[in-house]
Amino acid sequence: MYVLSALWNVTLVRLPYIKSHCYLRRTLILSSPGRKIARKMSGQSRNSWIIKDDPRLVSARQKDFFVDIIDERRHTSDIGWALRQREVPAYKYNKARSPAEIKNDVLKSDRVKYAVEKIMEESGASLTDVMKEAESIVDEMAHNLRVGVIRGFAIFLVKVMKKLFQRVYVNEEAISKVRTLIKEYPVLLMPSHRSYLDFLLMSYVFFHYDLPLPVIAAAMDFMGMKFFGWLLRNSGAFYIRRSFGDDQLYWAVFTEYVQTHICNGDSPVEFYVEGTRSRTQKSLPPKFGMMSASLEPYFKAQVPDIMVLPISISYDRVLEEKLYAYELLGVPKPKESASGVFKARSILEEDFGNVHIFIGDPVSIRNYSVGSVDRTSHSISPRYIASLSFQEQALIQKLSYDVTLQQLRNMAISPWSMIAAVLLQNLDGIPLRQLVKEVEWLKRQASNLGAYIDYPVNETAEAIVHHNVFTHKNIAKITEDGIVELVSDDSMLVDKNGDNLMTQAAQELMVCLYRNQLLNVFVRVAMVAIPINSCVKDTLLIAELRSQYQLLEKLLNQEFIFMPGQTDQDFDMALSCLTRTCGVIVQDGSVMIKKSTNKYTTFFSQMFEPFLLGYWVMCRYLLSIQNGAHGKPLVKLPKTISKEAQVLSSQLIRDSHIKHKEVLSLDMMNNSLHSLYHLGAVHKEKREGKTYMYPNLVLLSKVTEDLSKFIEVPPMPQTTINMDTKTVVVNAKL
Amino acid sequence: MSQRHSIEGKDCATDVDPPSIPKRRQELLKWNGWGYKDSKFIVNKDNHVEFTGERYQLSGHTMTLLRDWMIKTVGISLDHKTPPQPELTAKDMPTPVRNEEFLADIRRTNISHSDDCQDRLFRAHGHTLSEMFILREGRFSRMPDLVVWPASHNEVVKLVELANKHNVCIIPFGGGTSVSEALLCPEQETRMIISLDTSQMNKILWVDEKNLVAHIECGIIGQDLERLLAKKGYCTGHEPDSMEFSSLGGWVATRASGMKKNIYGNIEDLVVHVKCVTPRGTMEKSCQVPRLSSGPDIHHFILGSEGTLGVVTEVTLKIRPVPECKKYGSIVFPDFEHGVACLREIAKQKCAPASIRLMDNEQFQFGHALKPESKSTFTNFMDGLKKFYITRIKGFDLNTMAVATLLFEGAKKDVDAQEKRVYEIAAQFGGLAGGAENGERGYMLTFAIAYIRDLGFEYYIVAESFETSVPWDRCLDLCTNVKDRLHRECKERGIQFPPYITCRVTQTYDAGACVYFYFGFNYRGIQNPVQLYDDIESCARDEILANGGSISHHHGVGKLRKRWLKKTVGEVGVGAMRAIKEYLDPQNIFGSGNLMVGDPEESAHNSSNSNVSLPSKL
Ligand SMILES: Cc1cc2nc3c(=O)[nH]c(=O)nc-3n(C[C@H](O)[C@H](O)[C@H](O)COP(=O)(O)OP(=O)(O)OC[C@H]3O[C@@H](n4cnc5c(N)ncnc54)[C@H](O)[C@@H]3O)c2cc1C
Repeated sequence: MYVLSALWNVTLVRLPYIKSHCYLRRTLILSSPGRKIARKMSGQSRNSWIIKDDPRLVSARQKDFFVDIIDERRHTSDIGWALRQREVPAYKYNKARSPAEIKNDVLKSDRVKYAVEKIMEESGASLTDVMKEAESIVDEMAHNLRVGVIRGFAIFLVKVMKKLFQRVYVNEEAISKVRTLIKEYPVLLMPSHRSYLDFLLMSYVFFHYDLPLPVIAAAMDFMGMKFFGWLLRNSGAFYIRRSFGDDQLYWAVFTEYVQTHICNGDSPVEFYVEGTRSRTQKSLPPKFGMMSASLEPYFKAQVPDIMVLPISISYDRVLEEKLYAYELLGVPKPKESASGVFKARSILEEDFGNVHIFIGDPVSIRNYSVGSVDRTSHSISPRYIASLSFQEQALIQKLSYDVTLQQLRNMAISPWSMIAAVLLQNLDGIPLRQLVKEVEWLKRQASNLGAYIDYPVNETAEAIVHHNVFTHKNIAKITEDGIVELVSDDSMLVDKNGDNLMTQAAQELMVCLYRNQLLNVFVRVAMVAIPINSCVKDTLLIAELRSQYQLLEKLLNQEFIFMPGQTDQDFDMALSCLTRTCGVIVQDGSVMIKKSTNKYTTFFSQMFEPFLLGYWVMCRYLLSIQNGAHGKPLVKLPKTISKEAQVLSSQLIRDSHIKHKEVLSLDMMNNSLHSLYHLGAVHKEKREGKTYMYPNLVLLSKVTEDLSKFIEVPPMPQTTINMDTKTVVVNAKL
Repeated sequence: MSQRHSIEGKDCATDVDPPSIPKRRQELLKWNGWGYKDSKFIVNKDNHVEFTGERYQLSGHTMTLLRDWMIKTVGISLDHKTPPQPELTAKDMPTPVRNEEFLADIRRTNISHSDDCQDRLFRAHGHTLSEMFILREGRFSRMPDLVVWPASHNEVVKLVELANKHNVCIIPFGGGTSVSEALLCPEQETRMIISLDTSQMNKILWVDEKNLVAHIECGIIGQDLERLLAKKGYCTGHEPDSMEFSSLGGWVATRASGMKKNIYGNIEDLVVHVKCVTPRGTMEKSCQVPRLSSGPDIHHFILGSEGTLGVVTEVTLKIRPVPECKKYGSIVFPDFEHGVACLREIAKQKCAPASIRLMDNEQFQFGHALKPESKSTFTNFMDGLKKFYITRIKGFDLNTMAVATLLFEGAKKDVDAQEKRVYEIAAQFGGLAGGAENGERGYMLTFAIAYIRDLGFEYYIVAESFETSVPWDRCLDLCTNVKDRLHRECKERGIQFPPYITCRVTQTYDAGACVYFYFGFNYRGIQNPVQLYDDIESCARDEILANGGSISHHHGVGKLRKRWLKKTVGEVGVGAMRAIKEYLDPQNIFGSGNLMVGDPEESAHNSSNSNVSLPSKL
């Protein structure tokens, strides 16, 4: 809990410190080697100890705490670099094993033996058969980390990196810490996950700094790809099925495979708390399975401690932006094939700007669990039987959230994110001058809230905007008369409705992806700003505001990351931010609405408006579902519900009732459905092994009403929409 | 007050041998350290460590490697000494609480007693680090008000009756080797406290050769017991490392464990019959049988009761003929892990010799440093050869190697057969026979370490041992994790010198093992080292429990480990123990406050926190 409450405080004060620190560092670096040369070139400089007094001449190889690690690769031989002798630190209790030995140890482990025996008992299968299955599971799973392959791969990787990116920044100070940590304790690497490139970059960074190459829990998607699957396996990827339900044998093999790496500290183990790539670029609520499996060895006292490293990887431009946009809409991406990320050579011709990799402060699970976990509870049964106490499970959840939040906190936010946020509130275009002003304003707000904004100090705001729009020329442009606007896709894909709505939506969604990177910074203040901004009374009691905040958090907690159980502190913190720096006025326990609705509250509210609108559409759609036979509500598959809600959205967009095409996102629809389920407004029912859903009309109406108070909602005429073969009638009944 | 010592050992008339430890302990034993006054480690004029006296194999020898080892491993400096305070005298001790009616009554009996301040001081403590530091640097705020020396079971009965009548607190005292703060007087005790010293009840009352049992008074100490039995050709085989000083009653009261338990068993296996005087009356069984099915075994109420229920006065113990053959041995392993695996296998095959202990590398090196200066160049030469063989030919690393020490006992042919089997198993785990001498030195280390701690005290070192029992599957992890925890705590608490941390697997069982840790550090530049030591040891104990280890294998709970008792036996368990206490001793006459008695938080730290005021001269 303390970690999160510290979050706000710490991040708020962090920025000035960093700035001054980086300033110091930069002058130091420049002055020492330059002294002699500067004297010779007298006259060029006013002060003899300065060699470059035009800030624009100073390279961006180093900035703040970041260092570009591919800069030097542009000047010397890649092959020499890839083949160099690497002095890699090893865990102090490690016993060297080959990948084959690891597999063997897994198969011989007590845990697998125990599972095998149970299965034999239950199914009557023979030992050889069950063992064979276990072997095939290990074979499917195991990595085959090999230095030779790594070196070859490194050459390939570095070439790709140099092509794709201008700079790959790493906060180098963390590296020496990681070096010592790796010797002391087993290490878990938990990068944020916004692109396939994440784990390539991680391995690249570790290779670059002579750190042991991580083994990486990867989804099976890659395994299918012939060469690439092989390459990744040999570079340390191990493959895990997305779901293996109650397959005991798979569980046992998987758990043992992960844990044996941790206990013996063979390699740092890397996985994504988010479970999968965040297509929306916002971060996904954490998953606990992998985390539980990796921390169990500590709770069972098989290791003295485990160190968790949250790592934030931020991209100026995401490789998969287009792919994501179409995935979110649930329609196939036109032209190039969806899986061919790397086949598409053309991608190498494009500029993806910079990448920032920030290795956060390590979390010691021992320190983290002091006082909240009693490991003695495992003393009276064998350690290979999986078991975690309630306290341990709760702790794992909390840690997972903390890690995700720390990842978010350490993201480097590109100016483009802010441009995107402004553009989305000005879908018809905005004059460059005004855009620059807005972006500067927004940047200040984000900084005040503790975000690290990657804003070059040596360039004018105008130049920055120009540069960023240029990098993203596939989605935005500056017209000749100085208007910045979205580019419409040139592909003339027309769908069955006779328009290219989905193509347009994809263009808009790509912009949303970048705005999304900013949203976690603002979400808490926005959830306070929204009720203020939409309040029709003169004053709003803090208690009432708080309960509206709580409702919003419940609604949006599939979209954004909130630490469970910390709603009240978050609210207090956000409100005090608004009163301290954003002109919100509280008197006698109430917010003075008139005085408090201002540019801040309006802008913050509007950033989140599309979400509330999307959720409202979902509600309206659900309300329109007619009863089935016997007065029972009609049950539907969640997927179907989302799809049908999307159809309603498209209708509302076509009728110009809604501007934001973002509401077409199926991801948004799924999230809203889940939140409504947690709010009790939708129920689940299992039929033939599948989960169906149906609305609880009373609660749902209430939520719909609440939502329509926060935002301006379109009128709901009775419309009939055609869904494949069925006809769905949507009417205005509430 | 008058002192009536029964000076001539006329009570022990059955045997001509006087007991090794005199009634006035101060005549023979150190007042503020371990063991005999004449035996100690000193730094001699050549700046080498030497062991004085002539009692032990090491006596009179110089350990030429030891000084450098101490400098290297714990960073001592011969220039920085911490000498102890001068001997405590009456003015430094609390005035005795007097229960006049009790005193009047006791004078009417013939029971020997004394309130001499040295008699009281010698019975005010055991041998934990914090108790030693009180002696070296501080004061006791509470100590026994009177020492009594009953000479027989009946005198004990009389004493307990009087105490019960006058509400006087009794703390039984055996050999004073307690390492759990069990002998410390509770600070808040306002009643008169008498220390019931059992040392004069030291006779072997009879030996029954038909059943191979002996009936013995509780105050006899280990070395006397074995010496007297040996005269008749027998032994008990119970040899805790403290056997030179600890008593039979003490063993029963703490559930002691002897080094050779693999053949002879622990104290609970050796006891056939016990007589225990409680305020409710004497508790004993009416038969002397090998096994009994009659409900919970009342012996087990007494075993490990730590002086909280009554006084053990007489015990019938199993005895064995003195073995024909006794042989040391050792096995060298490439590392500790191989050693643990080997010990596990030996336990599995149930062929463990009388004693088998596995020392980790740190302890192996310590043992090496204890080597007396070799008189002959030939031994040096041989040592060189051995080392060459092990490190060069066999590829062992001197910095990871671990050594198991072995002691075989029995008939010659059995010993030979057992030896062969053990070495065969060892070979499967990469173990090499390392010779008898290494083995013997390993056992020497055990007794030497108690003396050597006193030398450390002189040079800013605080050190202590603690132990636990653990299932086999967790044994290695426990050793690793506890050591890691200790190192980490030392670092995080700002101890500047490398701590000395070592362990050995010191007993093996079917289902697990006993692990023994030594932990010490150089406290130069640190405030209140005793408290710091205590805090770190507590962390280690937490870690032990988290690793599936126990509160104690044989040292007991006393007051030092009370706070982990409930966690160990559960709320109901503690409640049941308390119910027994309540029935046997409703007035809390046996008020030492050990184990389940009283609130763990209150008394646990009476010694190190408040009982002492250590000058911060550092
Ligand atoms: C260097 C050293 C080595 C040691 N090695 C071992 C070892 O190998 N194995 C082992 O088990 N322990 C060992 N110990 C711990 C200690 O020796 C044992 O706990 C021993 O059993 C204590 O016996 P004692 O006679 O010294 O009892 P004391 O220290 O005098 O008393 C211990 C406790 O027992 C109670 N008590 C004593 N006598 C009686 C009695 N007759 N009736 C009722 N209660 C009584 C006391 O009140 C006190 O609570 C060692 C200690 C030291 C200092």
